[in-house]
Amino acid sequence: MELAKIEKLLDAYFEGNTSLAEEATLRAYFAQDTVAPHLAMYQPMFAGLTAAKQETSAKEVKLPQQKQLHKKWWYGIAASVVVAIGVAGFVFSEPKLTQEEQEALIAFQKTKEAMQLMSKNFNQGAEELTHISTFTLTKNKILK
Amino acid sequence: MKQKEFIATVLPFKDKLYRLAKRILVSGDEAEDAVQEVYLKLWKGRNKISNYKNPEAFAVTMTKNYCLDRLKSKQASNLKIVHSNYKTSENVEKKIEANDGVQLVFKIMETLPEQQRIILQLRDVEQFEFSEIAKMLDSNETAVRVNLSRARKAVREQLIKTHNYGIS
Repeated sequence: MELAKIEKLLDAYFEGNTSLAEEATLRAYFAQDTVAPHLAMYQPMFAGLTAAKQETSAKEVKLPQQKQLHKKWWYGIAASVVVAIGVAGFVFSEPKLTQEEQEALIAFQKTKEAMQLMSKNFNQGAEELTHISTFTLTKNKILK
Repeated sequence: MKQKEFIATVLPFKDKLYRLAKRILVSGDEAEDAVQEVYLKLWKGRNKISNYKNPEAFAVTMTKNYCLDRLKSKQASNLKIVHSNYKTSENVEKKIEANDGVQLVFKIMETLPEQQRIILQLRDVEQFEFSEIAKMLDSNETAVRVNLSRARKAVREQLIKTHNYGIS
């Protein structure tokens, strides 16, 4: 590469008027071991800019897991199932009674039956009484 | 967009985003965090990302804005950016330790105004076209060229200064 062309490119470079290809030419020139002495001071500049591109990030980028959305949905379902079972169990389970309570219940049942029997007989007696009222009625017709 | 597809779209330019973030924030750790944040944002808007013609340019713009915001909030809270990554960024150092001048260029770049630093990074390091850079920075090509020229000249001036000191 002729020196005059490099100098010209360098001038354009500092004015911001070089293309990417021309800048690549400059970088290639300054990457050589032997550079014209009066241009040697520019060498670290191009070396530095080239070296800056070697730098890489060592850390992995972490992204949130997409599956989380499905999991949340499942939590909702699971929670409502548990609640439903709880409520159902409460509603449908038969209340457990102690021995004493059961006996009391049976006694209550028997008492009820006895009372009903009694009231039935009593009502039978009351039915007989209607005949008496009929008798009274007829008597009144006659003895007016 | 599925995660696999998303990664295939955006991961290839992760290092570019990292280098840009590092150029702006200086600290390597901060740059890593910034990249992570940018990717989370991209991931949240993944259904829109395919609509953009150039996801890379979109991501670069996002990184630039995020880093400048970080910088602003730091300056507002009077926090000094502490960075000690000259020793830790081994992958660069190994390759360039033969050349002390390279470290000097890095240091000079840190002294440039942010806009010039970003443009120098995008053009001379990542080699984007002027039209692409203009789009990324929401600017125009002329403004990009002017800023780039200023940045290059600023680096040259500093180099000449140290060069002359070295001789005398």
